[in-house]
Amino acid sequence: MVSRRDFMKISGSVAGTAAASLAGVQTACASGHHLEPDRIGVLTDYTECIGCRRCEWACAQENGLPFGDLESCDDQSVFQEMRRPDERQYTVVNRYPAPEGSDKPLDVKVNCMHCEHPTCVSACIVGALKKDPMGPVTYDASACIGCRYCMVACPFQIPAYEYHDPLTPKVLKCTLCTERTLEENKMPACVEMCPKEALTFGRREDLLDLARDRIRRNPDRYLPHIFGEYDGGGTSWLMIADRDFTEVDLPELSDRSAAEITEGIQHGIFRGFTGPLMVFGLVSILGKSMGDQEGRLDQEGQRKEGDNE
Amino acid sequence: MRSFSATRLILLMVMLIIFLVPLAAFGAASGTASDQVVDKDHPQDKMHQEETGRKLQSCLDCHKCKRPTRKDPCLVACPRYESHFFSQQQVEESPEIIIIDQLSELYGSVVFAHRLHAEMAEMAGGCETCHHYSEQSGVIPPCRECHDEERNVVDLSKPALKGAYHRQCMNCHLDWSHENACGFCHEQATDELSAVTPDTTDIVGIPHPIIAATPTYTYNTPHEDGPIVTFHHNDHVDMFGQKCVDCHRGDSCSRCHDADREEAKPLNHITSCCSCHGKRDCTFCHKDEAMPNFEHGLSTGWSLEPYHTGKDCTLCHGKPDSFRKPETTCTSCHIHWEDGAFNHAVTGLTLDDDHIDSDCVDCHVKLEFTITPTCDNCHDEPMLPEKIPGRLKLH
Repeated sequence: MVSRRDFMKISGSVAGTAAASLAGVQTACASGHHLEPDRIGVLTDYTECIGCRRCEWACAQENGLPFGDLESCDDQSVFQEMRRPDERQYTVVNRYPAPEGSDKPLDVKVNCMHCEHPTCVSACIVGALKKDPMGPVTYDASACIGCRYCMVACPFQIPAYEYHDPLTPKVLKCTLCTERTLEENKMPACVEMCPKEALTFGRREDLLDLARDRIRRNPDRYLPHIFGEYDGGGTSWLMIADRDFTEVDLPELSDRSAAEITEGIQHGIFRGFTGPLMVFGLVSILGKSMGDQEGRLDQEGQRKEGDNE
Repeated sequence: MRSFSATRLILLMVMLIIFLVPLAAFGAASGTASDQVVDKDHPQDKMHQEETGRKLQSCLDCHKCKRPTRKDPCLVACPRYESHFFSQQQVEESPEIIIIDQLSELYGSVVFAHRLHAEMAEMAGGCETCHHYSEQSGVIPPCRECHDEERNVVDLSKPALKGAYHRQCMNCHLDWSHENACGFCHEQATDELSAVTPDTTDIVGIPHPIIAATPTYTYNTPHEDGPIVTFHHNDHVDMFGQKCVDCHRGDSCSRCHDADREEAKPLNHITSCCSCHGKRDCTFCHKDEAMPNFEHGLSTGWSLEPYHTGKDCTLCHGKPDSFRKPETTCTSCHIHWEDGAFNHAVTGLTLDDDHIDSDCVDCHVKLEFTITPTCDNCHDEPMLPEKIPGRLKLH
């Protein structure tokens, strides 16, 4: 039997080691996911979006995706159902009906949010998805094994899979026009196309300043919440709106990315192999103490048997 | 057995500690930087208050950067939020039409009926409804003077020209027409259309949204001699090729866009009807009963069937303002036919070698072309072999 003193000793040392290893986790995460201070992003002002769907067209042109001609954007019948980006369309605009007392519907552009600490990257077991320190979440098709864990992990349900392609299927999603933004010094195709500048491209920090400024100057027009500033650990794509984001089907997320939480636990346990060693040590200590007890019990039993005899 | 349950308990606690410690560490709170209140002694604040009657709220109302210095005050060029508007320009002095063509790439230029919009804006708050900036002297600079064509990715506070224009237009237009199709304002920049100069003389200078005009208006007038006036609006547009501005010249928007009225006021018929129909006798329009739509055969006794349907009225009638009865003989219009240049095949009957040299009047008695001649007009026995025609009838 484990004495009270033994138990206190064991649990105390376990807690101490756990705390020490977890303290190490925080620094490991911070250094493991280096992000440039100048990293890029896009701010979507939902109150400016008019649902013209030109961003969808521009995205298709840029990525060589099938889409009708420019005038096909005027087809408003697509708003009858809520759409999700898929392998043929990396961005879609959905229309949410006007709330009571207003006749203005809200048009919402949906695409990859390029999270600061992406769960898809965390879930990817081969490193095909990566977080670029400059912002975009990039995808390397040559590394992808098609496990689709990223699709399960994404809180925004963004990555899409080419189910129709049996031989070389890829996971597809918005690229934040990496070539244009990081190499050619241009803005993403959708941002450039947007006639109303509902989309603004720039340094994430500047965009946050801009969003705060707009909210400060127009308190009647916006709710004081920049989606993506902290939500889900922060995103490169930021949003401001005149209503709660849950009304436009954006998930309620904690200020820490799910990836950060799970990685914290997993990496913490295995950091320096301390966790496994600790458990192994604990089990051996217990085993030893139990072995001693059992030995004592056996001796006692034998003695009793001897007495009886 | 008791020792095993204790082992389990300890392992459970270890697991709990491992999971609970990071969970308990959640909850990073954060806040945004508060805005600096404008210094009471700031010289511009007093001036601003005198000019606009408003007190400055924050440094960022005038300065782009957070730490302006005397050397680099980084002033906002054309402030949007705090209106700097001093112009006293009257609507009548403003430009009537502005052609916006600085950015026409995917879409053609926009013919913006400026004065029309200025008239409407007068109800809402004057020039300031759209123009948020004028120089102290009152000069209103064009949008492009502050808003660059290229987007600035460093200073994000000011929209580029495309964004500025669209924000200006779309916010009202969406409220008004609930329509966001580009073609509403833009000419499509296709090869075919880019060469077309937009017709700035039409009613509003841009393609006005399709007006569901009543096809026919029947007015009951106090005119004793023929009180009923029937006006076929759509016939004038579709059949007689009238443009909006031909009748609605100098028309005010409020004739249609007036909140107090459900229907538009009728036009002054003296100026609009009589400008085309001339000063005919009143009975041309004033009848005792409603008139049917204009049908050329019924109304004039000269049917357009089958060869003249769909022809432009002016082909026969000349100028649209003088639709007088022309000569009805074919050759009064088709003058070259007299020279034998008429291709008879267009009528469905190709003349063979035996008939090609005949004069029109040989078959068409008295040149009455509306009556289709038959063979036995000339030939007694139409069934005779082609080579041996029958006796010629004497006309």
